[in-house]
Amino acid sequence: MALRAYDKIKHAVRWWLLRRLPTCKQTVKVISESMERKLSLRERVTVKLHLWICLWCVWYLEHLNLMRDTIRTKASQEPNLDSSSLPQLSAEARERMKLRLSQPND
Amino acid sequence: MSEPPRTPKSQPPDFSAWVDLHGDYLYKYAIFRLRDGSAAEDCVQETFLAALKAYRGFEGRGSERTWLVGILKHKVTDHFRRVTREAPIGETEGEEFEHNEFFTRTDEWTNHWNAGYAPSDWHATPAELVERGDFWKVLNDCLSPLPERTASAFTLREVDGLTSEQICEALNITVNNLWVMLHRARLHLRNCLEINWFTKETRD
Repeated sequence: MALRAYDKIKHAVRWWLLRRLPTCKQTVKVISESMERKLSLRERVTVKLHLWICLWCVWYLEHLNLMRDTIRTKASQEPNLDSSSLPQLSAEARERMKLRLSQPND
Repeated sequence: MSEPPRTPKSQPPDFSAWVDLHGDYLYKYAIFRLRDGSAAEDCVQETFLAALKAYRGFEGRGSERTWLVGILKHKVTDHFRRVTREAPIGETEGEEFEHNEFFTRTDEWTNHWNAGYAPSDWHATPAELVERGDFWKVLNDCLSPLPERTASAFTLREVDGLTSEQICEALNITVNNLWVMLHRARLHLRNCLEINWFTKETRD
């Protein structure tokens, strides 16, 4: 019984907050900008509150961080690029470049 | 095949050996950023030819590969500059990647996530994803429909970690343009990865 009342209050608080906070559409834009600049205090507070009640935007933020970290990790492995699965120079391009390099004055 | 000599005092080194020594490495480096095979080939060739001219200045200082990558880095940025500089950014460039449909709802919660496009839990870590070759293919396929400048901005930012100022200068855009582009690129990529990578097996 007490639990149900608690749920109802939680639901009401979430509803009340979500009505007053920036929408998800506005929030995802600020989440992306948070990776580029320091947010204002107001933006930080509203994003925090939004994330407190919106799991979808929490995942959105997680995914942006995951994409960034994955790409940066990949880029940091560049010394081992030789063994990566990226495509190789075609035989034709290889021959063309060798020719250009062996006849530098053409 | 012999390494080109480090100090070619007596005879000129065989420059064409660079192609076998470093060609694939440089090509992979370029294609990771440009996603376009012929543009990557051009950048690698320009790098070799520039290196040929500059070789006297280099002669044995540090690793040859590091030196070549340094040249290639500039060639790649030049490529981005070339393809974007002539065309001033249009008002509507990439507008469709604002993806308004992600936030279109018929109930009172308009401008909040439409459940059909909302993020789900990916249960993934960078360490796992980095090892998956097919992940890079999907990522590249997802980047390709974006406008050239938007995709370039994303690449320069996330792959090369350039600062806003450097990217704005290279792409001839304002910092506000840049933030809008990065936002659209992320919104689009995240959704594209979710559909084509993270939920591919479980969906339909």
